[in-house]
Amino acid sequence: METLLNPSKTPKLFASKTHLFKSSLLHSIFNPQPHTLFNRRPLSVTITCKVKTSQGPKNDGKNISKKILLSDSAPELSNGEVKGKPTNGVGAWGLVTKLPKRVLAVLSNLPLAIGEMFTVAGLMVLGTAIDQGEAPEFYFQQYPEENPVLGFFTWRWVLTLGLDHMFSSPIFLGTLVLLATSLMACTYTTQIPLVKVARRWSFLQSADAIRKQEFSEALPRASVKDLGVVLMGAGYEVIFSSSCYVFLKGPSLYAFKGLAGRFAPIGVHLAMLLIMAGGTLSATGSFRGSVTVPQGLNFVMGDVLGPTGFLSTPTEAFNTEVHVNRFYMDYYDSGEVSQFHTDLSLFDLNGKEVTRKTLSVNDPLRYGGITIYQTDWSFSALQILKDDEGPFNLAMAPLKVNGDKKLYGTFLPVGDTDSPNVKGISMLARDLQSIVLYDQQGKFAGMRRPNSKLPIEIDGTKIIIVDAIGSSGLDLKTDPGVPTVYAGFGALMLTTCISYLSHAQIWALQDGTTVIVGGKTNRAKAEFPDEMNCLLDRVPEIVESCITKQPDSIGG
Amino acid sequence: MIFSTLEHILTHISFSVVSIVITIHFLTLFLLVDEVVGLYDSSEKGMIVTFFCITGLLVTRWIYSGHFPLSDLYESLIFLSWGFSLIHMVYYFKKRKNDLSAITAPSVIFTQGFATSGLLTKMHQSAILAPALQSQWLMMHVSMMVLGYAALLCGSLLSVALLVITFRKAIKIIGKNNNLLNQSFSFGEIQYMNERSNVLLNTYFLSSKNFYRYQLTQQLDRWSYRIISLGFIFLTIGILSGAVWANEAWGSYWNWDPKETWAFITWTVFAIYLHTRTNKNLEGVNSALVASMGFLIIWICYFGVNLLGIGLHSYGSFTLTSN
Repeated sequence: METLLNPSKTPKLFASKTHLFKSSLLHSIFNPQPHTLFNRRPLSVTITCKVKTSQGPKNDGKNISKKILLSDSAPELSNGEVKGKPTNGVGAWGLVTKLPKRVLAVLSNLPLAIGEMFTVAGLMVLGTAIDQGEAPEFYFQQYPEENPVLGFFTWRWVLTLGLDHMFSSPIFLGTLVLLATSLMACTYTTQIPLVKVARRWSFLQSADAIRKQEFSEALPRASVKDLGVVLMGAGYEVIFSSSCYVFLKGPSLYAFKGLAGRFAPIGVHLAMLLIMAGGTLSATGSFRGSVTVPQGLNFVMGDVLGPTGFLSTPTEAFNTEVHVNRFYMDYYDSGEVSQFHTDLSLFDLNGKEVTRKTLSVNDPLRYGGITIYQTDWSFSALQILKDDEGPFNLAMAPLKVNGDKKLYGTFLPVGDTDSPNVKGISMLARDLQSIVLYDQQGKFAGMRRPNSKLPIEIDGTKIIIVDAIGSSGLDLKTDPGVPTVYAGFGALMLTTCISYLSHAQIWALQDGTTVIVGGKTNRAKAEFPDEMNCLLDRVPEIVESCITKQPDSIGG
Repeated sequence: MIFSTLEHILTHISFSVVSIVITIHFLTLFLLVDEVVGLYDSSEKGMIVTFFCITGLLVTRWIYSGHFPLSDLYESLIFLSWGFSLIHMVYYFKKRKNDLSAITAPSVIFTQGFATSGLLTKMHQSAILAPALQSQWLMMHVSMMVLGYAALLCGSLLSVALLVITFRKAIKIIGKNNNLLNQSFSFGEIQYMNERSNVLLNTYFLSSKNFYRYQLTQQLDRWSYRIISLGFIFLTIGILSGAVWANEAWGSYWNWDPKETWAFITWTVFAIYLHTRTNKNLEGVNSALVASMGFLIIWICYFGVNLLGIGLHSYGSFTLTSN
């Protein structure tokens, strides 16, 4: 059946009657005609008619009298629309259909989902307000029973509900699981049918139906074909059809843009489920550990790493031995630390070096699924020569100071070391660059840098600082969930961006010499009227009485 | 030396220009000048000048310090005010009208004013970066987060405006600033009167005032939705890039750090907003309520957590010192 009219011919009344009879088949296959429009996929589309209701397989038993309503909101589950029916191509969901439909209906309720999200947010707020991971005595002190916070909140609430380890407590994890099931139920029952509805092409055949759209205009002295060309230029996909009206109406048009914006929310939900799955895998199957290794010493990875959950299984790489060759720091001109580096060598069971790399912060080492991060540093020992004897290694101890600046100190006893009031020389350092020395009375004696090898005389003792030996603070980790989580992250970023697109639909009908245009969009409601006006301004106005196009007058 | 003087000059210029723009708006409100076209143009030019000044300020700081200008609270506040003026410029070039300037101009001035005020003078010098911040991820993560905050703040302010207009009668009874509210919203209505007169032919309305107020709230609603959707995208990208960076630098992509948790809470609240808009019953006032909550939560996330100064994000912390 020839469904694509060449609009330059005047459609005849008789021809349209024949078309009416033929179109009562309610199925038409579109044959792309090279001279009219660009149609990528030959689909079978149901055309609605005033005379008969459409009964195609895609309609699932709906009775449509005038037009197919593409609703913006989720189809209500109560009026018997598509819900829980097994769909053809998606076999994995077949399992889900065995669940009772009532459970599914309850879970995919939108206010429930919103309530769950609020609950998750509220629990997280609580988790930041209450200090996490402290000993029970802390909570006895902070939330005493004699003087409850807000009149009722005592330590009993905190410890029984698990609020001291909120982010791994059953209440939080349970809410997250509930949210995940709601996500799955909602995607299956609501979003997938919505996409099927949106993908359907529909034609509005009456001028009234078009005028009832959110945006509608009438263009006198215009032709639907010109409108179609303008829309195609603006990125819309345009489909023409013949009318199956009893009265002569002329060709009509359906155009849409941004259909990906309807698919994208499904992608968002699936990406979130992927991230949750990856997070669960991380929480139950990874190994973590941290160690502070002085320069020159080594450790075995397996000794340091500890499991975090019941799925954690060690691998062969855990037998690797790590040797710290050198630890050094870079400084700015002002003396602040700019970066710290550790030169590491990894040896396998046979003592063969398998890899060697210099780590720094933001630049970890990856081997055999295990990642080593540079996270901290410490001062291990100070090597000095006393009166040209030595070298002696004095262990440096961390001293408590406000803020996050570090301070280390050591003490060299002078004189009688057995007496209880032993005096000596104190040496303090903030970093590996410079050491400050104090004499036996505690007065400032001088400052030396380790590489200068300059001696300093304090109370008759000659001290030369040979070397400052630092230790590297390393964190080790192996995490099987990371690839899954990264995939989920990438999918979430992409699908969130795509769901910004707005699905715009435009219908037009040629009524004599006037074209009646109507359209709607689901997201960009603020910008749509302006965009439409711009497009309609570009449709050329036909000045002469015959319908052949006059290119010399552009309306608007 | 030249760079810091240039910075000073640019800061002062942008601040003064924005103050002038806001003064012009207030004048048009209270004097209800009919010929607002001339003043419109000058206030538009003022906003463009501000945008270029703040851009220049950021570029100067970048060149001078050698790192992207987002390493502490002062720089991120300047970046936030740049974000607001950017939103204003994009809106202006799309629609050729500065409807949003009632929201963006005061936001620019408040954030800049706070940044340059005496509370944060210690941070005005370009500081050196701590080792953990020396990464390419700094540019992407922090800039996306701050741009997301700017867009979300703008959108939630529009929702707050919607709520104020809708409940104006209730506020009239309680509040004392009747005249201020009356005039600020009749200003908006005059704008719409000029442009929507052709819609009169197609719709019913009870009285002109109700109709224009309905139009105004509908426009506010739609623009708020659009801007918040955009801000949500930026926030998502910011949070996820932060997680990937954390995995590279600290060993784990999510540590339930206070700042991370509050960013997630902000994300959740705006996800709730987007979901309330899918249902026609909950659209309008309910979604505006959620967005207003989001406004408070963003400030807690951005500022409140920094006041605590704990956790892995302590770079942005500051102590309020009075000079």
